[in-house]
Amino acid sequence: MTNTPATSSAVLLKIEERVATLTINRPDARNAMSVEILDAMHDAVDEIKDSASSVLVITGAGRALCAGMDLKAVLIELSGDAGMGERLLTRLAELTLKIRGLPQVTVASVNGAAVGGGCGLTCVCDVTISHSDAKLGFPEVDLGICPAVIAPWVVKKLGPGVARRTMLMGGIMSGEQAYEIGLVDQLAPNRDALESLTNNVAQRLASGGPKALSATKRLLNELDGSFDETLVLKGAKLSASVLATPEAQAALAARMKR
Amino acid sequence: MIETRDESGVLIIELARADKRNAMLPEMLELLHDAITSNTDALAIAILGQGKTFCAGFDLKACANDPSGDTMRALLTGLSKCVRTLRQHPAPVVLGVHGAAVAGGCALLGGADIVVADRHAKLGYPVVKIGVSPAVSSPFMLASMRPGIVRTRLLDTDLIDGEHAYKLGMVHELCDAPSDVHDRAVEIAESIASKPGSGCRETKRWLNEICAVSDEQANAGLNASLELTGNNEERERLAALWGES
Repeated sequence: MTNTPATSSAVLLKIEERVATLTINRPDARNAMSVEILDAMHDAVDEIKDSASSVLVITGAGRALCAGMDLKAVLIELSGDAGMGERLLTRLAELTLKIRGLPQVTVASVNGAAVGGGCGLTCVCDVTISHSDAKLGFPEVDLGICPAVIAPWVVKKLGPGVARRTMLMGGIMSGEQAYEIGLVDQLAPNRDALESLTNNVAQRLASGGPKALSATKRLLNELDGSFDETLVLKGAKLSASVLATPEAQAALAARMKR
Repeated sequence: MIETRDESGVLIIELARADKRNAMLPEMLELLHDAITSNTDALAIAILGQGKTFCAGFDLKACANDPSGDTMRALLTGLSKCVRTLRQHPAPVVLGVHGAAVAGGCALLGGADIVVADRHAKLGYPVVKIGVSPAVSSPFMLASMRPGIVRTRLLDTDLIDGEHAYKLGMVHELCDAPSDVHDRAVEIAESIASKPGSGCRETKRWLNEICAVSDEQANAGLNASLELTGNNEERERLAALWGES
C-alpha cells in the first residue's frame, strides 16, 4: 500500500508499508537548505513520527542529497537580514534533534553531494548509504565558517579523532573515502546501483520487530547523549556568530561569484 | 633538543635529539612546552622529529640511572603538561610520525588534531612492560579515539604499524615512505593556516568543548602514573631492560 501524504513540494514524502521516504526536492539548488526546505522537512518528520513505518529513508531529488545551507539566505549583503543565519541554523539544529529522536530507524541515501549541513544530516541518521562517486564533506573552514551546529553528530558518527581531522581539514571526499573513514556505512559501486542497495537495506531493516528497533534506537540515543539539546542548540549559535563575521561573509561572497 | 621555526603562520617544532631517536628528557619536555606556549599567534602547528624516527619515548637510560624515580616523575609530569598545552592551543596541531612513535612519543598523539604517519611506522605504548602505567595518556586518548581501541592499545605492549593505526583511527593520513611524512604534515598545516577567518580556531575550540578533557581527569591520569613511580617493579624491570640492551 502506498500513501502519499499532502506535503509541500519542497519535500516529497512517500510511505510504502513500513518504509517512509523523504526526498528533499529543490534539485535546481542542489537541495540547499532554505527556510522553506527546513520548514517542510520539520512538517514531514512530524508526520512520519506518527506513521506506522519502521524505517525512514532520506534522499534528494536530482544530483545531490543536500548542498548545505542556502548561501543566498545567509549572505547578509544579499538577504539584507543579519538574523537569517541564526534562524536557519537553529531550525537545522532543531531538525537534527527531531530526526535523531524519531522512533523509526533512519537511513540517509546519499545520491550525490552531501556537503556541510547536508553531510551533517547524514551523521544524524542511523545508517548512511552512498556510492563511490558521491561527494561528501565539511568544507566550512575553507569558507571561514564553523560546522559547530552539526559537530556533535559528526563526533558521534566518526569518533572524536576522525571527526576532528575531517572538520579541521575541510574539503570534500569521494564516497569511497567516506566509506573508508566510517562516514558511509554501505557503498554502492556507482550511482545507478544506489537505489537498489537502499531498497534492500531499508527492507531488511523494516523486517525487524518495530518495538525492538525503536527500543534499541532509544537506548543508543540515551547512551551517546543524543537527547542533549543544549549542546546542539549552542552549536547553532556558535556557527551563526562565526558566519556573521566580516571574514566569513567575504569568503561566502567570493564563493557565490565563482 | 627542540628546534622551532615559523613559516608563514605555521609553527614548526622539531624534536632534535636524533642520535637518541628523540628520546625525551625532562628538560626537553620543558623546552617543548615553552615552544608551544610562546607562540599563541600561530595559525597551525606541525610537530616533527629529526633523524630516523619521530620519538622513541622517555629516555629510559636516564630513568634507570635515577633509582629515586625523580626523572620518571619529571618526564610523566612534563608529558602531561605538553599534551594538555597542545590540546588547549588555539591553532590546530598536525603531528608527523615517521619511523616510530613509542610510549611517550605515541602519547603526543593525544594532543594532536591530525596525525600523519608512514605506512610502516611503529606505534604503541609498551610501558607496562617496564612497570610504568600509561594512565597519564588515557584521558587524552579517550578524547581522540574510540574507547575500545584505547583500552587495547594502553594495555597491550604490542606495537602496531601505521597502516593498522590508520584503520583504528589513531592515524588520519598515511604516507608511503617515511621521508614523505614531514612534507605532508607541513603541507596540511600550511593549508589550515591559509584558511580564511576564525573558522578553524572556533571549530577546534568547540571540538575541545564537545570532547572535553577536564583538569580533574588529566590530573587523575597523571597521578595514577605517578603513584607507581619509583616502586620495586619499575626499578627491577627498568634495570633488567637496560641491562639487556
